[in-house]
Amino acid sequence: MTTHVGERVSRVDGRAKVTGKARYAAEHAAPDLVHGFVIGSAVARGTITRIDASQALALPGVLQVFTHENAPRLARGDKRWRDELAPPGSPFRPLQDAEIRWSGQPIALVVADSLELARHAASLVRVEVAPAPHETDLEAHRERAYKPPPHERPSVTPPSRGSADKAFARAPVRVQAEYRVPVEHHNPMEPFATTVVVDEDGTLTVYDKTQGVQNVQSYLTTIFGAEAGEIRVLAPFVGGAFGSGLRPQYQVVLAVLAARQLQRSVRVALTRQQMFTIGHRPTTWQRLSLAATRDGALAAAIHEAVAETSRFEDYSETVVDWTGLMYRCDNVRFAHEVVALDLFTPMDMRAPGAMWGVYALECAMDELAVALAVDPLELRLINYAEHDGNEKRPYSSKELRACYHQAAERFGWSQRDPEPRSMRDGDLLVGWGMATGAWESTQRKASARAVLTADGRLAVASATEDIGTGTYTAMTQIAADALGLPLERVTFKLGDSALASAPVEGGSFTVASVGSAVDAVCRELRSKLLKLAQQLEGSPLARLRPEDVEFIGGLLRARADPSRALTFAEVLHRAGIDHLADEVTTRPSKAHEKYSRYTHSAAFAEVKVDPELGTIRVTRVVTAIAGGRVINPKTAESQVIGSVVWGIGAALQEHSVIDHALGRFITHNLADYHVPVHADVPDIEVILVEERDEIVNALGAKGLGEIGVVAVAPAIANAVWHATGKRIRELPITLDKLL
Amino acid sequence: MSILRFHLNDRPIEDAEVPPTTTLLNYLRQRAHLTGTKEGCAEGDCGACTVVVLDAETDPAAPRFRAVNACLMFVPMVQGRRVYTIEGLRQNGALHPAQAAMVERLGSQCGYCTPGVVMAAFEACYREDLHEPWQLDDQMCGNLCRCTGYRPIRDAVHMVAGTCPEDLFKRRRAEATPAALEFVRASAGRCYMQPTSLAALWAAIAERPQARLVCGGTDLALLVTQRYQDLPELIALEGVPELRGVGRAADGWFEIGATTTLTDLEAACMGPLRPLTPLLRILRYFASRQIKHRATVGGNLCNASPIGDLAPALIALGAQVVLRSAAGARTLPLEQFFLAYRKTALQPGEVLAAVRVPEPSPGARMAAYKVSKRRELDISAVAAGLYVETCPEGLVTEVRAAFGGMAATPARARGLEAALRGKPWTEATVEAALPALAGDFKPMTDHRGSAWFRGQVAENLVRGFYLETAATPRPDLPPRPAATVRLEVVP
Repeated sequence: MTTHVGERVSRVDGRAKVTGKARYAAEHAAPDLVHGFVIGSAVARGTITRIDASQALALPGVLQVFTHENAPRLARGDKRWRDELAPPGSPFRPLQDAEIRWSGQPIALVVADSLELARHAASLVRVEVAPAPHETDLEAHRERAYKPPPHERPSVTPPSRGSADKAFARAPVRVQAEYRVPVEHHNPMEPFATTVVVDEDGTLTVYDKTQGVQNVQSYLTTIFGAEAGEIRVLAPFVGGAFGSGLRPQYQVVLAVLAARQLQRSVRVALTRQQMFTIGHRPTTWQRLSLAATRDGALAAAIHEAVAETSRFEDYSETVVDWTGLMYRCDNVRFAHEVVALDLFTPMDMRAPGAMWGVYALECAMDELAVALAVDPLELRLINYAEHDGNEKRPYSSKELRACYHQAAERFGWSQRDPEPRSMRDGDLLVGWGMATGAWESTQRKASARAVLTADGRLAVASATEDIGTGTYTAMTQIAADALGLPLERVTFKLGDSALASAPVEGGSFTVASVGSAVDAVCRELRSKLLKLAQQLEGSPLARLRPEDVEFIGGLLRARADPSRALTFAEVLHRAGIDHLADEVTTRPSKAHEKYSRYTHSAAFAEVKVDPELGTIRVTRVVTAIAGGRVINPKTAESQVIGSVVWGIGAALQEHSVIDHALGRFITHNLADYHVPVHADVPDIEVILVEERDEIVNALGAKGLGEIGVVAVAPAIANAVWHATGKRIRELPITLDKLL
Repeated sequence: MSILRFHLNDRPIEDAEVPPTTTLLNYLRQRAHLTGTKEGCAEGDCGACTVVVLDAETDPAAPRFRAVNACLMFVPMVQGRRVYTIEGLRQNGALHPAQAAMVERLGSQCGYCTPGVVMAAFEACYREDLHEPWQLDDQMCGNLCRCTGYRPIRDAVHMVAGTCPEDLFKRRRAEATPAALEFVRASAGRCYMQPTSLAALWAAIAERPQARLVCGGTDLALLVTQRYQDLPELIALEGVPELRGVGRAADGWFEIGATTTLTDLEAACMGPLRPLTPLLRILRYFASRQIKHRATVGGNLCNASPIGDLAPALIALGAQVVLRSAAGARTLPLEQFFLAYRKTALQPGEVLAAVRVPEPSPGARMAAYKVSKRRELDISAVAAGLYVETCPEGLVTEVRAAFGGMAATPARARGLEAALRGKPWTEATVEAALPALAGDFKPMTDHRGSAWFRGQVAENLVRGFYLETAATPRPDLPPRPAATVRLEVVP
């Protein structure tokens, strides 16, 4: 039987992408399209007292300048503005009032015949503001921290256990340290954009950059009070998102608002600078207190975190929980609080919470290893958690030990001299560091529809997304295998709110959720097809048990006698039907409740540091991932390599610097917000560890989008310590901190 | 009145309407409806808008493809030229090798950076001067990718770089002849003029004395794309043959024409300008290849940024600038060209025509340094050019220490120089002289570095210079730090 799952399949959408044919949100054409340009607030807090758009409106070709004064009043009440992923609070409503809540908040939309004209007209709009004092500095306002109300995903911080403070005080070996991490911005390569096409019957086709077409669609219909059929949201291609597209962004509201008011097709695209006004990974302060017995067993672990949120929503992430579940420890205390600042609400960004929480934990573990004079890897093995101590449940699978061993061996960890500054390459200091990673593996309710047509082709669809992750390819593989078809006879459609319902694409749960639905619906078709085939008069497959029939190359065939076969087309033709269709919804199994489900990783990093200039180069990373069954090793490895490079960025480069006097991000472009470039990328080796898991879902796939990033930044930070003897507890580790 | 004329994917384009400060990127996406070329930043930082221009003007004997950022080019900058975009690469439906390699090696995830990556790889396909590994990094460094982690892209580019496939594009390159660059669009208060002779340039300047000069435009274009300014009057220098080229003057000095692009300067530094090693060093980390293909020596110096990377190296080498006008020419030491923050000694009607650099004395020690947070594609926190000559007795006879990022202009550290001059060139002398730096500069604090950090780095660069030149008076760049254990590329 041909199988595609597990094979190194090239991306099915690769050709569209290398020829420029893949169209993104700002690239869909419409007759008489007009362009909207967003004007953002220059102050961080205050009230708009006057907007004078007369000069802009006087220009020929400028259609309208929408402001809070003339924009239609949309839905009332916080509830109706809450999208699927909104945290508790009062979501931002563009152009609905005069209040300014953060620097860069959209306060007007100029609509004109051309982009250049809209942009120019925007520069002529005069805005008067009564500013109010703003607060954007987390450290300066930590005394205002409070416990956020529970959010949907990081449900509640788990209860503390044992008596951590007492155990900490009594333990013979202790480390306590504070770790600081900055704001980061997702910066997908494609800026946010929306093209709204007004159809002849007045319905709106909204091409949006989003990770959830149905989330955007239901949000828009609710806030605009429209019928479900009036607005359709499409996102066939998304140029990266990393969490920034989970919630509807403000440009989609503005574009739809303008299109409805003007009854014209409208495009609103954000500039790169405006990409720094739409949400970010929150800056977070953490304190880790770890104590151990002399033999290295953890006696106490206390993880405290204070993160930022906005003044209007209580965003929170899973920051501290990791300390209670990654290692075995009976005395654990958690504290997680937030401070409301005059910035936009933070957003999930690749491995939200784990990125910072595991960074701090894994650096603290490194410090503890030094204090104990134990090898850092050995310390992790001593405290290896066979059960999830937070939930008091077994893991559905956990091949972390294999990750440690395989990655350590490839890296050559055993040759490490534990002394800092002990290893050199010429004038350069060499450092080796390692860390552990974990990320949740979840499955959500999802549906898929499949249609097998008389020409033997299979079309499968679900309203999920492919933000670069390879959904098109993975789903095509899963569907093809379920029905024994070659890949080229299968198409998978996504990114359309009218398709079978699917959750947003995020949290590494797409393959587990949508993949399960695709697999299930195709298996349903398979049964139907077999039944149909067996009912045919004189069927060569009559009376065979299902397991005695194989589906291969578009054929149903008796395993015992390949001459007894029917093509799919024959079956449909002889049955007198032109297609076979079904839609199936899958949900997590009951077994989920009995197990904790996580992916795991180990990362080993090498850095070389110039002691004179403080410049740091990551020269090698080996990472091993245990993420269940791998649908496509080619796309999986590429995902993980990309994650590793994100980890390098977080460790050494990425930093959205706020000028607190202005309350504004000043590194708001790709020249000043550094992401790694081609030449920053070292040898990266990815090991996909074999892991069987029959609990997570029928496919056994646990998701790989996030796990690859979690362990990398701490591994690098630990390597920098090993190279230099300096423990920099604030990311990014830049040369000025090291000098 | 000129009509904008160029070939877009071998299709002739004529446009009499388009405003001349329209960027090539907006022209492609909005007017030509070719949306394969992406906008990621509109300021030359990401490379998503990379297209390829065929250039037969710089060296008619050796036409070449140049990968450039369409977001930083005004449309007259392609006047008469051939422009290729991602949509023009397929031949008879077959993918170009650069496209096929990207599919095969999974160099594309979300796909948004992909067209730009493919176009940079396209240039690499036809390069015949790729000899060292750093050149491939340099070739691809201007293309940011947030998904793949670059390794798959690198693998793809390795497959095709330098392969020079026998195809239509190679034929087009072989057949290319210098394009007619002349472009004149002028009306009351507005103009864009691209003269093609010195005489025409003087006439244009006389006619439009208020016009801004543009020479590459990689910085000037930002006024349009980022600040939404209107630039009513522009005169472009790149069509003037007299301002072009690298050579040697009768007096033995090297002469670099103002319109020489930084890639051409870099190539010359590996050829006729080989003695000027500090220039090659600084160009390596100057900017992306796309930027270096458009940025020029004259543009960089006239921009007079305190953190312009070329100036410290050139000042250290003792460079002069040649300023020409209709009335004649004068020369100035480069350090005297910078008067204040972004202010130069250019008089109305004058253009910077060339840079002259003396042949360094055979035993001289010299190097240039750039310190930035990200090594590639970043703006300097501190840049330095250092040059020391000693007599047979070991005393310092000539010293030039120039810094960027330490003051409002690139400037010499006169106090440091004085403390070194006439002394024996020893570590003790250097250490004793370093405190003078604190008197030379009062650097500022910004997000690229604190004043303390800048001062410390400047000192360490002088120390590093002493150590590095002890063994090799004219060091090339050290090799990139490699992994201790080589691993094969992930298949």
